[in-house]
Amino acid sequence: MNRSNDKKPSSSGRKPSETASRSLAKPLTALAALVVGAVAVAMFLVNRTGSESSPSAASPTASSNVATPDKPVITTEGWAKGNLSAKTVLVEFGDFQCPSCALARVKVDNLLKKFEKDLKVVFKQYPMPNIHRNAMVAAQASEAAGKQLKFWEMYEVLFARQNEWVNVPDALTFFLKYAVELHLDVEKFRQDMMDGEIRNKIFRDLLEGQVAQVRSVPSFFLNGRMMQAVKSDAEFEELIAQAIRTAQ
Amino acid sequence: MRKATWISVSIAALAFVGMVDAAYVALHSSRGFLLPCGIAGGCDQVLNSPYSKVLGIPVAWFGLAFYMTTAGCALFAFFGFEQALCLSFVLVSAALGFTMYLVYLQAIVIRAFCDYCLLCALLVTLIFVAHLWSRNQFRGEEKFEP
Repeated sequence: MNRSNDKKPSSSGRKPSETASRSLAKPLTALAALVVGAVAVAMFLVNRTGSESSPSAASPTASSNVATPDKPVITTEGWAKGNLSAKTVLVEFGDFQCPSCALARVKVDNLLKKFEKDLKVVFKQYPMPNIHRNAMVAAQASEAAGKQLKFWEMYEVLFARQNEWVNVPDALTFFLKYAVELHLDVEKFRQDMMDGEIRNKIFRDLLEGQVAQVRSVPSFFLNGRMMQAVKSDAEFEELIAQAIRTAQ
Repeated sequence: MRKATWISVSIAALAFVGMVDAAYVALHSSRGFLLPCGIAGGCDQVLNSPYSKVLGIPVAWFGLAFYMTTAGCALFAFFGFEQALCLSFVLVSAALGFTMYLVYLQAIVIRAFCDYCLLCALLVTLIFVAHLWSRNQFRGEEKFEP
């Protein structure tokens, strides 16, 4: 950069021999300090992103809403079915590309048939694009269908015909085909899929799941409490039945 | 204070912000979490696109390596090894080209923008401008040499 340095001593007045022997310790130490500082700031920001909306930061307006590791605060906003005014609410964080979620859909449908009057089921988006390449675009497709009031129809198709689109490079082609089959306005569907509002909605669900310590899909929350270590479908059903009895 | 010192400090400061930006994205992506996205709103689309990785490594890690090298060059220049800025200039020129390609991908191919990537592009541009400015300054100084 400073061409004059090649011809004469540096502007600090030192001779070339002194420059050559100058210690590398100072710049290396300064660089190390700068790198450590930058990484520390980044880590602080990463942790703060989580804690800003973490359960512990949630407003404890009612004792029942106070978050603990076992009982994070989960909203019941989202795509709902069953008895929408039921006191017992089962929230599912799901990913359309996850095979277990496709299986869970059948179980949830059976539960809804059994507890038709007492259970509300809410689906929240939790696409995991790092392991499921088409999960995000599938979530966008379901939300775009939802804009035309056909979320649950698209939900059924996406899970039922999961094998068709999970491993294809352009899953959108399949989703457009499904939109046609569901008699959606395809052009609006296509535009809505890319809509920022839909992306933000998916992101809000994801953030809520992350705060609630969702680590796998499907993850279920019964009345705001994560259902962990449920060993069988029978136990799953019994826990819901128990919650319904308690609510009554 | 010498002009080289001012330039070194400016470049090191910009590189520090770049390191924070790149490290933040890299740490988030390594945890498999999506980033909160502010103005642009397309971070998830950009950072999960096929263009977000080179040789299987997230671009953010390359960004972090670039800013570390740039900061290193600036600090070496600050402590008297002013030739280090020449290396930095070559590196920043290449980075500017790559950054322009990434902005093109966001605008035309992915059709979504990521705040953190745009900040990175801005920082690379500012570092490049700082280099150009310093070169002009030193050329000006040379004219007045005896």
